[in-house]
Amino acid sequence: MRVLIVEDERRLAENVARSLRESAGYAVDVALDGEDGLYMAQSNPYDLLVLDLMLPKIDGLTLLKQLRKGGGDTPVLVLTARDEKESIIALLNAGADDYVAKPFDLGELLARSKALIRRGKGHSAPVLRVGDIEINTSDLTVRRAGELVTLTAMEYRVLEYLAHRPGAVVSKTELLEHLYDFNWERFSNVIEVYISGLRRKLEDGSDTKLFHTLRGQGYVLRA
Amino acid sequence: MAKTSIQRRLIAAIVISQLVLAIGLIDVAVFVTRAQMRRAFDVALQGRAMSIAALIRYSEDESHKLLFERDLAPPPLERNVPDLYEVVANNRKLIARSPSWPQDYDVLPARGDRWIATYVVNGIPYRAIRLEHVPVLDREGDTPTTDFLTVTYASPATSVMEAVSEVLRYIAIGSVVLLAISGGFSLWALRRSLRPLSELADNARTISPSNWELNPPEEARDTLELEPLTQAMTSMLDGLHRAFMQQREFLANAAHELKTPVAILKSTLQSLLQRPRTSDEYRAGLEEALDDMARLEKLLHSMLRLARAEQWAAGNLQRDLAPIDVGMTCQLAIERLHSVAQQRSVNIDFAANDAMRLRADPDDLELVWSNLLENAIRFSPEGATVQMSMRTNNGNGYVEVADKGPGITPSELPRIFERFHRADSSRARDSGGYGLGLAISKALIEAYGGTIEPHSSPGEGTRMVVSLPV
Repeated sequence: MRVLIVEDERRLAENVARSLRESAGYAVDVALDGEDGLYMAQSNPYDLLVLDLMLPKIDGLTLLKQLRKGGGDTPVLVLTARDEKESIIALLNAGADDYVAKPFDLGELLARSKALIRRGKGHSAPVLRVGDIEINTSDLTVRRAGELVTLTAMEYRVLEYLAHRPGAVVSKTELLEHLYDFNWERFSNVIEVYISGLRRKLEDGSDTKLFHTLRGQGYVLRA
Repeated sequence: MAKTSIQRRLIAAIVISQLVLAIGLIDVAVFVTRAQMRRAFDVALQGRAMSIAALIRYSEDESHKLLFERDLAPPPLERNVPDLYEVVANNRKLIARSPSWPQDYDVLPARGDRWIATYVVNGIPYRAIRLEHVPVLDREGDTPTTDFLTVTYASPATSVMEAVSEVLRYIAIGSVVLLAISGGFSLWALRRSLRPLSELADNARTISPSNWELNPPEEARDTLELEPLTQAMTSMLDGLHRAFMQQREFLANAAHELKTPVAILKSTLQSLLQRPRTSDEYRAGLEEALDDMARLEKLLHSMLRLARAEQWAAGNLQRDLAPIDVGMTCQLAIERLHSVAQQRSVNIDFAANDAMRLRADPDDLELVWSNLLENAIRFSPEGATVQMSMRTNNGNGYVEVADKGPGITPSELPRIFERFHRADSSRARDSGGYGLGLAISKALIEAYGGTIEPHSSPGEGTRMVVSLPV
């Protein structure tokens, strides 16, 4: 999952980004003003937008309205210092999905972010199941037939993304776009490495195949 | 302490003055009535005395004795109380005396030929008249008489006393009734005329932080005496309202602005606790938290400074200040920003054509120059020079700070002095600005009776001109 944080307080953006990376396993980009934020949100397929309201150049509410007007349907979580009813109503009516009031709790922000991403992918339960595989998105653990399986951070990201879209064909490009933040060099062959790692850990010794490769199109996760 | 009541005082004043008036009136009335009744009484007495004198005649025999015709004496003035009379001839010989003449009253001392006195006989007040040297009226022919009579006649004066006391009673009762009526009326009138005051008070009671409108009832507005009060209240409320709104706005802004630095500090500490970390990571995290804390402190300090400066500017604080050298404060500000300027390879040039002295706190002025220089340095391109100059002209001192930065757009120019306003760039946040510097500077300069004017257009740099009365 890839998240964009639009927040002009660099220190706050860094803390939220670190938390989302470490505790949710997301790829995180940061924009420090509204103009950059809108451009990045429109040119990359983010799974979640964390948006501050008081921003230089373009303020958060305008950014949100423009994003929604342009057809962007990324879930948006707003960070606001104003928690009066009117401004919250205005926010939600402008297309925001949820908000946290400053000074917020990082744990709450994480939980709301995960919930919004889940909902954005059409799921409600925090635990995803594919065959005998259980992916717990709240503590980032994976079980195979009840047994804990240890995955690398990138393997987990690939698995979680595929598990959110079971039965769908997911291209390598889509995976790259959703699993890496802006600063990473992207090589499509690393995806193959993660998929083979996942196959080894989750399919070995089993008759059912989980990761199906469609040549030239991408991958399908299906039990 | 007991409360004094205007109403009660006024009523007391009215009642007391009416009482004095009534007493005076009664006094005069009694005096006049008594004098008149006495005069009439005395005339009647004199008539009776004369008629007693007329009853004295000479006997018809040779002896020419003086006789008194008692049977013809007039009836007494009062039916049940006898009159007293006595006739003495030639001051020696008693001719006649009424039967009721008291034993212990002998001949009364003579004084002149007419004498009137009041005295008490048998517990009854009498008024007596004495006529002296009255010739015997009944005589033969023109023979001159050699006998002269002294007639004393007394009648009970109870009727006079009663008449006087009746007059007194009527006037007293009348006065009391009138006093009660006029007291009641003045109470009603007082209450009535003081009503606008209580209505004004009722109206003033509705004043609250959500309602600052003093709406005096029409009666209060039309009352001449209340006009200064309503005017004073209205202007006091205006002042309070303005101060209240300013404070509230400041508080709202401050609370809002504090949320972000608190959010930063909180997120720094929470992300540090999210997973077990090495002691180096903890150390780095704590140092970050301290940095966040320092920014928070700086913001708080700036907000307090602004609040104080605005109080001075509003004239709420008078300070006793000595004249200082303004050039010195400029030098100090330049020194303070030397390292910041060096970091950005910006030069600061200072030119002064004259010494300038004025009454001010040197720290205030240094802070203003520092704020202006800091902005100028921040927006200057690398290698540029910031020009600072000082001059005096026509009783005014001018300090200018000019930069060769990108300038300010006309739409933004009026907003730069707003609290918490930031130049439209994320760089401002990174360098720790909270958008209070220019607001503080403006408030401080205005506190010293000066002005601060920005001159800028995009692409031409910005020139801030501070003008101070010297």
